[in-house]
Amino acid sequence: MRKFLMLILLCAMAANTAEAPKPIPPVKFTDTRLDNGLRVILSEDHHAPVYAIYIAYGVGSKDERPGRTGFAHLFEHMMFKGSANVGSGEHFYLVFTNGGTMNGATSPDTTIYYEVLPKNQLDLGLFLESDRMRSLAVTRENLENQRDTVKEERRQSVDNQAYGPSSERLTELAYDTFAYKHSVIGSMADLEAATLEDVKEFFRTYYAPNNAVLALVGDFDSAEAMARIKKYFGDIPRQPAPKPVDFSEAPQTAERRDRLEDKLARLTRIAVVYKIPAGNSPDIEALNVMNLALASGESSRLYQKLVRESRVAVSVGGGVSERIGPGLYQLSVMVQAGRQPDEAEKLLYEEIARLQADGVTPKEMLRARSAARSMAVSVRSSVLSRAGSLASDAVRFNDPGRLNTVEQRRAAVTPEQVREVARKYLRPENRTVVLTVPAAAGQPAAPKPAGAVKQ
Amino acid sequence: MTYLNRWTLRLAVAASLAVAAPSQQSQEQSSLSGVVRLNRAPVSNEVLRVKFPRPSETKLKNGLSLMVLEDHRTPSFALRLSIPASSLTEPPELAGTLAGSVAYLVRQGTKTRSAQQIAETLAELGGGLGVSAGPRNITVSVSGLTDNLDELLELFADVLLNPSFPQSELDTLVQRQLSSLQAARSQPGFLAEERLYALLYPNDARKVTAPTAESLKRLTREEVVKYYQANYKPAGGMIGVAGDVNLKDMAARLEKLLSGWKGSPPPLPKLALEPPIKDKRVVLVDRPNSVQTYLTVANRAIGRRDPDYIACNLMNQVLGSGPASRLFRNIREEKGFTYGISSGFSATWYFNDFEASANVRTEVTEAALDEILKEFRDIRERPVPADELDGARRALVGGFARSLESASSLLSRAMELKEYGFPADYWDRYPEQLMKLTPQQITQVARKYVPVDNIQIVAVGDAARLRSALKKFGPVEEYTAEGKPVSGSRQAGP
Repeated sequence: MRKFLMLILLCAMAANTAEAPKPIPPVKFTDTRLDNGLRVILSEDHHAPVYAIYIAYGVGSKDERPGRTGFAHLFEHMMFKGSANVGSGEHFYLVFTNGGTMNGATSPDTTIYYEVLPKNQLDLGLFLESDRMRSLAVTRENLENQRDTVKEERRQSVDNQAYGPSSERLTELAYDTFAYKHSVIGSMADLEAATLEDVKEFFRTYYAPNNAVLALVGDFDSAEAMARIKKYFGDIPRQPAPKPVDFSEAPQTAERRDRLEDKLARLTRIAVVYKIPAGNSPDIEALNVMNLALASGESSRLYQKLVRESRVAVSVGGGVSERIGPGLYQLSVMVQAGRQPDEAEKLLYEEIARLQADGVTPKEMLRARSAARSMAVSVRSSVLSRAGSLASDAVRFNDPGRLNTVEQRRAAVTPEQVREVARKYLRPENRTVVLTVPAAAGQPAAPKPAGAVKQ
Repeated sequence: MTYLNRWTLRLAVAASLAVAAPSQQSQEQSSLSGVVRLNRAPVSNEVLRVKFPRPSETKLKNGLSLMVLEDHRTPSFALRLSIPASSLTEPPELAGTLAGSVAYLVRQGTKTRSAQQIAETLAELGGGLGVSAGPRNITVSVSGLTDNLDELLELFADVLLNPSFPQSELDTLVQRQLSSLQAARSQPGFLAEERLYALLYPNDARKVTAPTAESLKRLTREEVVKYYQANYKPAGGMIGVAGDVNLKDMAARLEKLLSGWKGSPPPLPKLALEPPIKDKRVVLVDRPNSVQTYLTVANRAIGRRDPDYIACNLMNQVLGSGPASRLFRNIREEKGFTYGISSGFSATWYFNDFEASANVRTEVTEAALDEILKEFRDIRERPVPADELDGARRALVGGFARSLESASSLLSRAMELKEYGFPADYWDRYPEQLMKLTPQQITQVARKYVPVDNIQIVAVGDAARLRSALKKFGPVEEYTAEGKPVSGSRQAGP
């Protein structure tokens, strides 16, 4: 058996060394700043007659203040309710009835907006984004209406979902500092408390050109596009830089643990997170490689051990949550009905210990390099994914060209580094565990322990 | 011949389309609910017309059609094999269970590779491999980097032709499925679909949406092998490949790998598409502790080859497709009842439903249903205003430009045309057909297929809080989250 595995490895390596793999062409782009501080990234691509405009603002739930959780996201909704020259809801209507698509999204670090449109509608996309950056028009009525929509969104994604509340609990328990401790969606009470004045203040502070990156990717002429961008965005005044966010986290010294009963869940879920450093750093790249070996897909160690061999789990998953401030390495295990969560958790830690002792194999390193190459291909697949990558990496890490260095950065990771990060971060005292157990059918959930009550 | 078809996009501005200019010129305030139109944004009045690139084609010796659409931007490819074999032919005691299990197990071991080795090899090669069993087709896909084209194709052929169906993998699958089934019963969407398909397709295999604990326990390796041997056959099938490849080379590779593969899958089942149900039904599924109601309203409508298909698409674009549509503007943007609502037709060989669905907070369930019904009545009774209809046409045609970005989705369109026996220029002629449709034709299809008096309502939520509100819409039939009818639940309406 062992011999057979070795043989496959040799074949695979032979295949990879026989001829150098075809280089993936870099995404060419220009990176400039307008006088008002708006960072503009242009990348021409004439493959299809479309373009994507993507604006990433350097604001997210990290910038919220206590008592106003969920506000950055509520604000995102307000951005579709009209500006000086665009009526409430007209943004949606114009984009979709002209062959386009659009959306917005809020994360802990950023808030993004995009449109993808046929190339002859270049002015439309630029106009819509510039008008709301310059002159968002908010009314009490619009705020009330979007407050309702966002509360529905919270119900749909958290309150009416199995594991919804326990996912919120996990970050709340893992982080000590407010910036990342609270959820993006926010609490109902805080959503209720948001005022029109809050909206105006937030707009002035954070939706300034000097706090945003605009990426334009697709079928246009760069010189002409730049002239139009200047025309639409050039006279939006800059604002004083927002005050820096406190991300400081004292080193964690003991495991944190909670257990929640969930009236909607049917299977027990174990969620484990470890605190890791800020994003776009060598340790993060090594953690990505570690995650591929440990928890990603059917070839991973956890899948093999917990799902296929012991059948204690229905599924396993893992991921590196990369942030401007301290991130999280997340693992989750859905426990097979009738099996003990303790058994699953023990096996999980055994696999981590094995990784810390022996590190990763050459085959696992090869898989990680292949995954990076596939990622480099997939980010190129659409104008939208390229624009998103350029703008988000610019606003978060001041590194728009990150999509061109995926393969190199991955290739630079050594097996020693992978073992090192596993030892450094996947320590018991650095972890937070939240166990979600189904509440007995038909019974109201047992009162939660004091620590588990949401404010 | 191959090269003629390569990404020769011929773009023409559609002066001939005569799409009415967006109401930029007209200063009248449009009466669209949920939208205030200032008409100051610069909009190009031209709808960009595109010509869809056609794949190059050939036939393999075993009868499989091969279509290739070249795209050399990155060293990658995506291949999809489609076999005309139906999951609806499962033996009744294994309905909803056998075809899907075989599809899963095909990639869990071959004569020379274990499941783990297959997964590891794929990860090493940077590839993906998927098998799925649908009502009309079995699909086997492989994709990845062309650096490893040989190895990935070899693995694809091995999985397709030499699966070993290890008993241990079957046991793992059954156990996981039993747990997953339990978990699924916490999801409103799962509970709604289970009831809806029982309403719409009560008399045959189409009503089954998932395995049951009983069917899973009945599953044997013998049945799995038998199903595989009968159904995984090439006759009538097709392979589509998009990416950094060419037809000649791909044909040669596939000939070599698949030359020994012969035979026909069993005939496709003859299941007619039935007309809309005449009587109204109201079904309530109890999901205790819900804070929202998952509402689905539906009825049977049209199949993919129905002559009304294009008119239905346009009508639905106005009614319920995306944020510019009436349902979204009214029920989300005006009323704030939901985070999202949409409607659509699933028009295929075997399924012909029209559905709208939304999660709404429990307290507004009745009001939301009232509003949905109001919109349904409106599109049946009042002609769609010209500018709204033009907006819907532009949305559909204008979106074509975006679809040119992805070679594999273009190829899927081409494969779909072949499957349904449509001409290769179907999508090129589609815009003209859209333009020809009149508001009267839209009203006609709305009257035929948007249900009001014969609406089928499925509500999943906290039954104690919904029972009386739903009575107004008809006699309520109640089910538990386990899928069992609550006895005596059919209550008289008002």
